[in-house]
Amino acid sequence: MIVAALPWISPGLLSPGLLLAAAVTAAAASLWLLLPRGAENRLARWLGLALGAVALAGLVATGRRLGGLGEDAVFLVVSLVAVISGAATVVSRSPVYAAIWFALALAGVAGVLLVLGAQFLGVATIVVYAGAILVMFLFVLMLAQPSGMAPYDRVSNEPLLSAVAGAVLLGLLSLFVGRLSAETPACCRVPSRGAALTTTSGQAAAPLPAADAAATTADPLAENHVARLGGELFGRHLLAVEAAGVLLLVALIGSIAIVSRHGDPSGELTAAGRSR
Amino acid sequence: MNPLALLQNALLVGAALFALGLVGILARRNLIVMFLSAELMLQGVSVSLVGWSRFHGDWGGHVLVIFVLTVAACEAAVALVLVLQAFARTGRLDAAAWQTLREDTLSRSVDRELPAVDIVPPVFPRLTPAGVLPAADEDDLLQREHV
Amino acid sequence: MPNLTPATLLVLVPLLPLVGAVLTVALGRVLGSRAHLPAVASIAASAAVAVSLLVGLGREVGSGGTGRPVEMVNTLWQWADVADATPAGAAVPQAFSIPIALRLDPLTATLLAIITCVGLLVAIYSIGYMHDDPGYPRFFALVAAFVFSMTMLVAASNFLLVYVFWEAVGACSYLLIGFWFSKPEAARAAKKAFLVNRIGDFGLAVATFLLWITYGTLNFHDTITADGTIVPGILGQVRLADAVGYVGGAVGTAICLLLLLAACGKSAQLPLHVWLPDAMEGPTPASALIHAATMVTAGIYLVARCAPLFVACPEALTVVSIVGATTALVAALIGTVQNDLKRVLAYSTISQLGYMFASLGTGTLLGFTAAIFHLVTHAFFKALLFLGAGSVMHSMGGVIDMRRFGGLRRIMPITAATFLIGSLALAGVAPFAGFFSKDEILAALHGRGWPGAHGEHHEAPASGHASLTVAPGTHLPAASLLLGASRGEGAPASAIRFVSRATASPATAPAAGGLDSPRTWQLLFWMSLVTAGLTAFYTFRAVFMTFTGPTRVPEEAGHHAHESPPVMTLPLVILAAASAVSGWWLFRTQALASFLASTPSLTCPTVADTAVPHAFHLDVALQGTLAAAIGIALAALGHLGRRSDGPQMERYLGPLEPLFANRFYIDQLYAALVVKPLEVVALIAAAFDRHVVDGLVDGIGRLPGVVGTVVRRLQSGLLQRYALAGVMGTLLIVLALAWGLR
Repeated sequence: MIVAALPWISPGLLSPGLLLAAAVTAAAASLWLLLPRGAENRLARWLGLALGAVALAGLVATGRRLGGLGEDAVFLVVSLVAVISGAATVVSRSPVYAAIWFALALAGVAGVLLVLGAQFLGVATIVVYAGAILVMFLFVLMLAQPSGMAPYDRVSNEPLLSAVAGAVLLGLLSLFVGRLSAETPACCRVPSRGAALTTTSGQAAAPLPAADAAATTADPLAENHVARLGGELFGRHLLAVEAAGVLLLVALIGSIAIVSRHGDPSGELTAAGRSR
Repeated sequence: MNPLALLQNALLVGAALFALGLVGILARRNLIVMFLSAELMLQGVSVSLVGWSRFHGDWGGHVLVIFVLTVAACEAAVALVLVLQAFARTGRLDAAAWQTLREDTLSRSVDRELPAVDIVPPVFPRLTPAGVLPAADEDDLLQREHV
Repeated sequence: MPNLTPATLLVLVPLLPLVGAVLTVALGRVLGSRAHLPAVASIAASAAVAVSLLVGLGREVGSGGTGRPVEMVNTLWQWADVADATPAGAAVPQAFSIPIALRLDPLTATLLAIITCVGLLVAIYSIGYMHDDPGYPRFFALVAAFVFSMTMLVAASNFLLVYVFWEAVGACSYLLIGFWFSKPEAARAAKKAFLVNRIGDFGLAVATFLLWITYGTLNFHDTITADGTIVPGILGQVRLADAVGYVGGAVGTAICLLLLLAACGKSAQLPLHVWLPDAMEGPTPASALIHAATMVTAGIYLVARCAPLFVACPEALTVVSIVGATTALVAALIGTVQNDLKRVLAYSTISQLGYMFASLGTGTLLGFTAAIFHLVTHAFFKALLFLGAGSVMHSMGGVIDMRRFGGLRRIMPITAATFLIGSLALAGVAPFAGFFSKDEILAALHGRGWPGAHGEHHEAPASGHASLTVAPGTHLPAASLLLGASRGEGAPASAIRFVSRATASPATAPAAGGLDSPRTWQLLFWMSLVTAGLTAFYTFRAVFMTFTGPTRVPEEAGHHAHESPPVMTLPLVILAAASAVSGWWLFRTQALASFLASTPSLTCPTVADTAVPHAFHLDVALQGTLAAAIGIALAALGHLGRRSDGPQMERYLGPLEPLFANRFYIDQLYAALVVKPLEVVALIAAAFDRHVVDGLVDGIGRLPGVVGTVVRRLQSGLLQRYALAGVMGTLLIVLALAWGLR
C-alpha cells in the first residue's frame, strides 16, 4: 500500500516549500545532535552527521543552476567547503580545532568570493583573516587555554533552542532568497555611475561610450579589476578609508591600554580567578 | 552565467554561514569560539554583499566588505584583549562565568557534573638508539630541567 | 497710606490680624518668648481701626434720622461669576455671582469693635497666662487667626462668605479647644465640639441652598449688573422696602428653622449645647474670647442679621424664643450644681445665650436691640469672669475645682474684686451692666406676654388705612416713609404695603396653632425670670465658694500662691470698668439701640414698626431685681463664709440633684441614640473594609508578586540566554511579517 502510494506522494514531497522545510528540520536536528551536550555519544554524532548531509542536500537542491557544469561544480565545491567547515567550527569541542576549521571555512569563503568575481577580496580574506586574525586567535588560545578539556567546552547553552533558532533563520532567509526576481523594483533602481569612476593614476577616466560603459562597469570581472576597486576606494570613499585608518590606530592603542592594566584595581576578582 | 541564479546561490551560502554563526554565538560557551562564530557571521554577510555587488554591477559591496575586514581586525584586537582580561579574572573562558546581571534572589546557575574525560597523553614514537650516546653535558642537563 | 476711606479701613480690620497670624506662624520660632508681639500689635491696630469705624459710623447715623438704613459695601473682587445659573423650574434667569464683599453697618460695626477689643484684652492677658507654654507662638497665631475669621464672619455681605468664615471660626475653635492636644480629654473635647458644630453647619449649608433657590442671590446687599439692572440682595434695601419681599409659609419657615439650627450649633443652644462645657478643656483665655464673648454669639448675629426673614415667619420666631428660654433655664439649673469654676461659667454662657435667643424671638425691635445689647455687656462681664477664673487657676496651679480652695480674696484681691464686679453684672444687680441688658430682654418678653401693658403695642386694626393714621406719640416708621417718598409712590401703594405688613407683623399675627399666643410668651417670661434668679444664685455660689470662707490653697499651687502679674490683672480691671458702667451708659443714652436701629435688617418695616419709646420698665426691673436678690440670698445662706468643701445646698434638691449633676442626661441620651448605633455601623464597615476591600486590594497587589516569582527565574544573568531570547523575538517578528507578505 505504502509503496503503491509513493508515486502520488512524491511530487508533493519534492515541491520547493516542503523540500526547504525538510532541509531546515534536518539542519536543526543535526546541529542539535552535533553541538556539545556533555557526555560523548557516538550514535548521536553519526546521526547528526547523516542529518547534516540530508540538510546540505536539501540546500543544494534549493540552489539554482548557474549555467555550465563546470561553473556549477566549482561553486558547489567551494560553497560546500565553506558551509561544512563553518558547521564544524561551531560544533567542535576543542577551540583549537574550531579555529582550524574556521581557517578552512575562510578558504571556502574566499573561493565563493572568487567565483563571484571578487578577486581582491578573496585573496584579502585569506591574507587578513587566515594570516593575521586567526593567528592572533591561536595565540590567545595558547595563552588562555587551561589544560585538558574544559567543562564549558563540553556543554552548550540551550542547544535545542539555539539550533532551532538558527535553522528557522536559515529557512526564512532561503524563503526570501527563493522569491527574488530579476526585476528590480522601480523604486530601487540605481543609476549607472560609470562615468564617475577614476583611474589609479588619479586622472579622470575618459568617458566611455554609453553602451559600453554600462557593460564594463556592471561586470566586476572586467579588466583592471583591482585598479577599479582601488579607484573606487580611494576616490569616492577616501574619507571612510581615513576613518578606518584612525579606527585601526585607536583599536591598537586601546588594546595595549587594556592589556597593560594588570587585573582590576580592587584585586578581588583577580585573586578569585587565580585561585580557581 | 545566470546572474540571478548566481546571486541566489551566493545569498544562500551567506545565509547558511550567518545562521551557523548565530547558532555558535547562542550555543557555545567558550568565549573564543563565540568570537569565531561572530566572525563566521561577518563572512556570511560579506558573501551576501559581494553577491549583490556582482548582481548590480556596483562597487559598493566590495568597498563595504573591505571595511568589514578592517572592523573585524579592530574588533579582534580589542575583543581578544578583553577575553584575556576576562580569563585573568576568572581563570575560565566561560561566558557563563559572568552572571552578575541575574535577579538578586536567584542563586548562581551551576553546571551539572560532567563525567571526567580521560585525557590520553600523547604517545610519541620511541626510536631505537643508533650508535653511541653522546656524553651528557652536566650544564645542559641542568638547564633542561628548567626548560 | 493713600486714603483712609471707611472702605479701606473696613478691609484693614480683618486683614491686620491675618497678617499678624501669618507673621506669628512664620517668625514664631525666631521670636520665642516674644511671639505675642505680631498678634497683639495687629489685634491692637485692628481694634483701633474698628473703634474708629464705630465712632465714624455713629456720627454718620446720628446726623441722619433714627431708623434710616445705613450701610456701606466694599466689593473687593468677584469670587464666582456664572452668567447663567438658572435653577431648573425657575421662571426668571439667575446669575450665580459671589462677590468677596465686606459690609459696614451698625450691627457689624458694633460686633467688630467688641471682637477686636475683647480680643485685644484677651491677647494681652494671655501674655501672662500662656507664659512658658511650649505652644506659645501657636496660641497667638490661632488667636489672631480667630480674630481674622470672626471679623470676616460679621463683615461678610454674602451668605456663602458667612458660611466660609462660620467654618473658619469653627476650625479655630477646634484648634484652640484641642490646644493641649496631648491631653486626651482636650483632644476628645475638640473632636466633640467640631462634630456637634457640623450639625449646625449642615443647617446653614441647606439654608444657603434654600435661600439661593428662593431669592436667586446670596448677597445681603443689592448689586447692579453690567447691563444696569438691580439685583435685589436678600437683605438689600430694595427688598427691605418691599413689604412682600420675604417668603413666609413652609419654605420661609424651613429657611428660618435651618438658620436657627446653625445658630444653635454655634451658640450652644438646646439640643446642641453639649460641646460648650467640654470646650473648657482649652486654655482659659481662648474660652474667654471664643467660648464666651465672641464666637458663640455668631448665632445671635446670624438671627439678628436675618431678622426680616424671621419676622416673616412668626412660628419660627416663637421657636427661637422657646429654644432660648428653655436653654436658659436648663443650663442655669445645671449650673447650680457644678463644682468646676469654669464649667459654672460655661453653663452660665449657655444660659445667657439662651436669654439672647429668647429676646430675638420676640421679633420686636426692642427684642433685637436688647439681644445685641446683652451680647455686648455679656462679652464684657463674661470675658471678665473667665479671665478671672483663669487668674485663679493660674495661681492655684491649674486646680479649678471650687471645693479645693476658698478665701482667695486675701491672696488675690484684684482678681476677687473684679470677679465680684463681673458677678454682680451677670447676676443683674443694678447698676451693673447685666441689670440693664437683662431688663431690656425681660421687657421685650413682657411686652409680648402682656401686649398693651406698657401702652406701647398699638392694636393693629383690620384696615390698612387705619394704621396710617397712627396715634400721636407712636413711633413713625422712618425708613419706610423715606423709601416710599424716594420712590415717589402714592398713598395707595403705601396702604397696600401697610396692609400686608400688618398681617405679617408678629405682634398682630393670629395665634399659630396656639403656639404664638400671649400665654406662651407669659410662660417664657416667667421662665426667664426664674433663670435670672438661678443665675444670681450660681454666680454668687461660685463667688462665695472661691473667695470667701477660710483661706485654703490646694497643694498643687505650692507655697507661692499669689496675685497674678499686672499683664493679667490690667485686662481684668479694664473689663471690670466696662462691666460696671457700660450698661448704665448705653441704657441711659440709648446710644446702642438707636444706633442699631439703622442696621438695614432692622429697618425692615415689619421690624421697625414694632419700635417703642425708650422707657424704664419699673415693674419688670423690680421683678428681675427681686429674683436676683433671692438668688444671692440663697447663695449667701448656703456658702457665705463657709468651707467650700463642706455640706452643699444640693442636698436640699432631693431627687433632682442627680438630674442636674448629670446635665439632664443629655450626653447619655446622645451616646445611646447616636454614638452607639454609629459605632455598630462603623464596626461593620471596618470589618467589611478589612476583609473584603483590603482582601481584594491585597490580592491584586499579590498578583504581580506571584507572577514575579515565576518570571524572575528567567533573569538568570546568563548573557547567552538573553541573546537567545532576543533572537527568538526577532525571528517571531520576521515570521509574522513573512506571514503577512505571503
